[in-house]
Formats: sequence, C-alpha cells, structure tokens
Amino acid sequence: MDLRYGVEDDDFRAEVREWLEQNLRGEFARLRGTGGSGREHEEIELRMAWERALGAAGWIGLGLPREWGGRSATLLQQVIFAEEYAKADAPGRVNHMGEHLLAPTLVTFGAITLQRRFLPGILRGEELWCQGYSEPGAGSDLAAVRTRALLEDGSWRIDGQKVWTSNAAFADWCFVLVRTEPGSERHRGLSYLLVPMRQPGIEVRPIVQITGTSEFSEVFFDGARTDASCIVGEAGDGWRVAMGTLGFERGVATLAQQIGFERELAHVLELARANGTIADPDISARIIDAWIELRVMRYHALRTLGSIEPGAASVSKLLWANWHRRLGELAIDVRGPGATTLTGTPYELDREQALFLFSRADTIYAGSNEIQRNIIADRVLGLPRR
Amino acid sequence: MRFEFSEDQQELRQTVRGFLERHATPDVVRAAAEQGSGFAGSLWKRLVTEMELTSLAIDPALGGAGASFVEVGIALEELGRTLLPVPFLPTVVAAAALSEAADHHGAVPLLERIVAGAAATIALDAAHASATSRGGAITVSGTVPFVADGAHAEFALLATTLDNQPALLAVELAGPGAQLDAQPTLDQTRSLATLTLSSAPAACLTAPAAGAQAIARARDVLAVASAMESIGAAARCLELTLAYLHDRHQFGRPIGSFQALKHRCADLHVALEPARSTAYYATWTVTGAPDELAVVGPLAQLVAGDALLAISRESIQLHGGIGFTWEHDAHLFFKRAKSSELLCGGRRALRTLIGQRAGIV
Ligand SMILES: Cc1cc2nc3c(=O)[nH]c(=O)nc-3n(C[C@H](O)[C@H](O)[C@H](O)COP(=O)(O)OP(=O)(O)OC[C@H]3O[C@@H](n4cnc5c(N)ncnc54)[C@H](O)[C@@H]3O)c2cc1C
Repeated sequence: MDLRYGVEDDDFRAEVREWLEQNLRGEFARLRGTGGSGREHEEIELRMAWERALGAAGWIGLGLPREWGGRSATLLQQVIFAEEYAKADAPGRVNHMGEHLLAPTLVTFGAITLQRRFLPGILRGEELWCQGYSEPGAGSDLAAVRTRALLEDGSWRIDGQKVWTSNAAFADWCFVLVRTEPGSERHRGLSYLLVPMRQPGIEVRPIVQITGTSEFSEVFFDGARTDASCIVGEAGDGWRVAMGTLGFERGVATLAQQIGFERELAHVLELARANGTIADPDISARIIDAWIELRVMRYHALRTLGSIEPGAASVSKLLWANWHRRLGELAIDVRGPGATTLTGTPYELDREQALFLFSRADTIYAGSNEIQRNIIADRVLGLPRR
Repeated sequence: MRFEFSEDQQELRQTVRGFLERHATPDVVRAAAEQGSGFAGSLWKRLVTEMELTSLAIDPALGGAGASFVEVGIALEELGRTLLPVPFLPTVVAAAALSEAADHHGAVPLLERIVAGAAATIALDAAHASATSRGGAITVSGTVPFVADGAHAEFALLATTLDNQPALLAVELAGPGAQLDAQPTLDQTRSLATLTLSSAPAACLTAPAAGAQAIARARDVLAVASAMESIGAAARCLELTLAYLHDRHQFGRPIGSFQALKHRCADLHVALEPARSTAYYATWTVTGAPDELAVVGPLAQLVAGDALLAISRESIQLHGGIGFTWEHDAHLFFKRAKSSELLCGGRRALRTLIGQRAGIV
C-alpha cells in the first residue's frame, strides 16, 4: 500500500498544468467555470472550439491505445489530467458522451472500419455525440426499447422516439439502441446504431428542465437513415454492447468530479462565513459532514480505481449523487431567504439556485438511486431475486 | 500509487482469519464475555505468543516484526469481526506510542515486555490525573474512568500533566498506589476498569515540549485502530444479516427477496465500503503520511463507527424477534457499536474536531 504519486506522475501533472495555463487564455479565458451539469447551454460555440483545441493537443481519449490516436495513458494519468483540468476550472466538456461512452465502446465492440471512421472525429473534438437510450416507455427498464430499425436498400431506416437525450440539440451523431428484429422482446433483437443527427428524418424538440434551461430533448425518428455499416457489434447484439457502454466507468471521472465538488463546497463555506450562517450549528454541522463525506468519496475512489467488480460503479454513483443533492440543499439553506428571488428574467438562476435545482437530476440519470440499489443487492450482496 | 494490500499483507489476513475462525468461535466469545469478565485469557496468550500479533509493528531490534500500522490494522479488523474480548487494541496503540518515544527514557523495556506477551492499556484523556516530579521521581494521582482492558494489562500509558505540562506517562498497574476496579459493562465483549492512582510511581515517556503532540498523535492512532476494529465488526454483522435474509422465509419466499429489505442492505453496503476505504487509507497515513493523520484518524473513526452503528441497528431489525434475544449475537454488535461511539466522546465531538482540524470552524 503506497498512496503517494510517483515522480513520473508529478512530471505528467506538471505537463498538463502547463498546457492548461498556456491555453486557457485569450478568447478561451472566459470559458473558465462555464458548462457542466445544468449549464450545458453556456458558451456552447466557444466550448466546441475549445474541445477542438484539446483534441489538437492530444488531450482527448488519453487512455486509448496509441494506434487510435490516444496516449495509452494509465488510469492514474487519466485521473491526473482530469484533476488538473478541474483545478484549472476549465469548461465543462461538450463531448463527454463521445469520449467516455462511445469511444471505449467502439474500441471494444466496433468493427475496424467503424473505429477508423469515428474515433478520429471524437479525438479531434470535431464530432459531438449524444446517447439515445431512454424512451417514453423505457427508462429504468431499458430493455423495453421500442424504437425500431430495418435494413432497406443498404441503409437502416429508423422509426420511433427517444427522450431525455442530453446534448441532442447540438450533437452531430447519436448512438441509439433500437429494435432490429420485429416481434422480438426484451434484451433480444436489439442493435446499437450510429445515426447522424442532422437529417430530415430526425426532429429534435428541446425539453425545458426544472432549471428553466434545456440540455435534453425529445428526438423523433421518422424514416431517419444511417448506413448499413453503422452498427456496433452484430445485429441483435445491441444489449450486450449497450451494457458495455454503461460499464466503462472505472472511477476516473469520479475522482475528477470531486475536484469540482470541492470547489462547490468551498464556495458554500465561503458564503456561510460571509453571511454568518456558519454560526448556525446545523449549518456548520452539515458543512463539516459534507467535507467529511467528500474525503471519504476520495479514499473510496482511490481504492476502487480501475475496479471492474460488479457494483463498484453503483456504490460510487450512489455516493456522489446523494452527496451532491444534499449539497444543493445545503447551498440554498446557506443562502437563506435571499434565494427565493431571482437575479433576472426570464428565469435566471445564481450558483446556489442552479445547484439546488440541477442536483435533483443526479439521483435519476445514469441509473437512478433505486436501480443502483437493485444492482448492489442482486449482484454484490447476492440477495435472492424471489 | 497502489491502494491495495501486498501479498504478504493478504497472507497475514488469511492466517489471522483462519486462526480466529478455528478458535475465536461465537461460543468462546460468549463465554469470555459473560463469565470471563471480558477476557478470553487463554486465547489471548496464543495470539501474542504463537501468532505474535502485538509485536507486529515493533522494531525487529526489540524482537518485533517491524511491520507498519497497516499490518496492525489488518489484525484489528480481523479481531473486530469476532468481537473477541482481548486487550489487543489498547496494547497495539500503546506499542505505537512507545515506538515513537523509543529514543526516550523507559520506552524500550516496555516494548520488550509487549514482545514478551504483556498486555498494555492506554488512557488519553488528560483531565483525570496529574503528576509531579520531585528529585527525579515522578508520582501520579487521580481517578481515570473507562480504562480499556485495564484489569488485564500490566502497565498503562497515561496522558496527564506533569508539573503542569502535558506528558505521556507509564504506570505499573500492579505497582504501589495503583488500584483497578473492573466495571460491569454494557458491551460485555469489552472490559473497562476505573483506575485509582494515589501517588503511584510513573515514568515519563515524552520530552517536556513534546508531550501534547505525542498525546494528540496517540489519540489519532487510537482513532485509526478503533476504525479498523469497527470495520471488521460491521462487515461480519452485515454478512450474518445477509445470510439470515437468505434463510428466513415468510410469505413463501426468502425475506431477502423483498425489495424494501434489499435496498436497506444496499445502503448498508454503501455505508460500509467507503468507510472501509477510509479506514485502510488511515492505517497507511500512520507511517505513510503522518501529516494527514490528524484529520484522517478521527475521520476514519467517525465513518467506521457510523457504519457499524447503522449495520448493527438494522441487523436487529432485519432479524425480527430472534434479533432481540440474548441468545442471538445481533445485540453484541449493537452494544459494541454504541460503546465505541460513546467512549470516543460521541460523534458530535468527533465531527467538531474534524471541522476544526480541516479549518472549517
Ligand atoms: C438530466 C438528465 C439527463 C439525461 N440524459 C440522458 C441521455 O443523454 N440519454 C438517455 O438515453 N437518457 C438520459 N436520461 C434519462 C435517464 O436515463 C432516465 O430518466 C432514467 O433511466 C430513469 O428513467 P425514467 O425517467 O423513465 O424513470 P422511471 O424508470 O419511470 O422511474 C421512475 C421512478 O421509479 C423508480 N423505479 C423504476 N424501476 C424501479 C425498480 N425496478 N425498482 C425500484 N424502483 C424503480 C425509479 O428509480 C424512479 O424513482 C437523462 C435524465 C436526466 C434527468
């Protein structure tokens, strides 16, 4: 057991820090602190340009093998990059779905031609992706997917509807879970297709969230098309591929996210000191608890970094989602009555208000709290299904 | 960066667990708790002489194994699983404090006695006793409550003031001026005694200016030790509860198949595993990152204690009527959980301490 960073890690950290310092300048300087959950609408064009700058410098897909344009970076190096990125308050990434969900899926399950076609666009920050899993009738129960696709004249024809699709409004492509065997049920007969978003057969209707902003949309497929080759894995094998996509989280994102959490908590503490609420024993206890739990999350993330044990991702998801949701409540309580009015119309939220409202989503998306508990109970604790 | 136990450490765990599974059976634990006034004497002898567990982290030059506190933590965790009433925790915390004082005064012979099999105890609340020196001879007086395993220890390390300066002293418990009164305990797997000192001769283990720091550090190591013990107990208690949820049938199905209970068990797992990570991290800081110990020690104690309390509470509830009986072990874990919390001063005090050390309040 040795929990220090090695010299080579420190060197790598210095390189990352240096690059960020040199590049978050000029026009990009104003990107600091923009984007991220609940604020995906901010500076979207400039953040896309920033994504391309990251790609040109080789900072996207660090963990991918060199032959795919990655750096073959170790997990720890990926953590270091993400930590330094967060420490620099660099902007929320516009292509999380492409980099962290689709790219590893392509590497694991995709045909070489698909890898050649799509990985460079992700690694250069040029093609942005969204995830088309959820449907009106298929949320937690993803196997209830009904959107269907059929091969017609050398391409897939797709009909149906997705919902809650984050970033659909600006994404270039969508990875979609569809039913390709008519009459099939549940996990069978599904396929994982890659579909261009800008085409006549696709209509994107943004949905306004409780924050008044909109980062997810309904996506209607009405005779939408994608080339027959744009399928990851075999036809009918989509469930396995989709589950693979969900299983790539190995704790890198978790550790990086904690840097952002630290900043949010520091801000709440600063506010509590400034307005005197720190003297309220309830508030100070909650702040200390939040601080303690954040440390605990870090130690746990370090111990489970790279873990492929079933349930490890579920524990981490429950921890951070609940923590962040509580932080939202703490933040608004620290604000006090002042938080009941807005800084502007139509519905302009300040930091605490946005945190308070957006963090309600944390325990719902990417597997709700209840679904994570099911996973832990069934796969880790081995409790009987019936 | 490598957050995992080495092969040697895993082997140590297997050896200790194997030994305890064979010998520290629930019956043995019960007997020691109920009739043995909280002391499994013959098993203790084997743990220290045959297994040499108390000398794990003692300097090889003094006959110890020269391991780190991580190894000690593994043994604490394994013993925590069994709730076996033995003076292991106070002895190893005393050994750690003595090792740090080893270039001073009388620490070396005391460490050698631990290597030879002596149990020690440690009482770190300086408010209860005070000492004076006269012509080089130190005597200490006061009444020290809740001395862990005092009745089975040969000597005690005592936080006190020596001529109004914080100091860590060693006192012979069978010596003149020292009287121990064992107390009946709520948690019978833990033996507690009141130590009355009237001008008892003592040796000082700390330099005049270093006493406060040595006491604080010993307290933080004690916190880590308690965290590891709690993690072991919590894990075992959860295992027993899960096994019951498989076995017990109601409404024609195992009660563990009811989602209401599944989700509660999942939450217990989510309480335990991060607390475990924290406790492991804390054992590493004892030697690996001493600067972090002041925060991480109490923090580990807090979250591990919380996990044990949550799990042991739910364990009683999820066992139904049988969980409320004297015969079932559920109450042993529950009582251990509460007594651990109360003896560390309560979770509120612990939280405030962490808040202070983190610079929040
Ligand atoms: C901000 C945000 C962004 C999102 N982005 C995307 C995206 O980009 N792409 C995408 O495909 N989806 C996205 N989603 C959708 C998200 O994955 C779903 O909302 C989630 O899977 C839950 O599905 P649902 O909304 O249909 O709720 P339901 O599944 O209907 O759940 C309703 C309630 O019932 C509970 N429940 C359901 N089943 C069980 C069960 N078996 N046991 C116990 N409780 C149960 C749930 O936990 C929840 O509390 C996003 C959601 C949000 C909030």
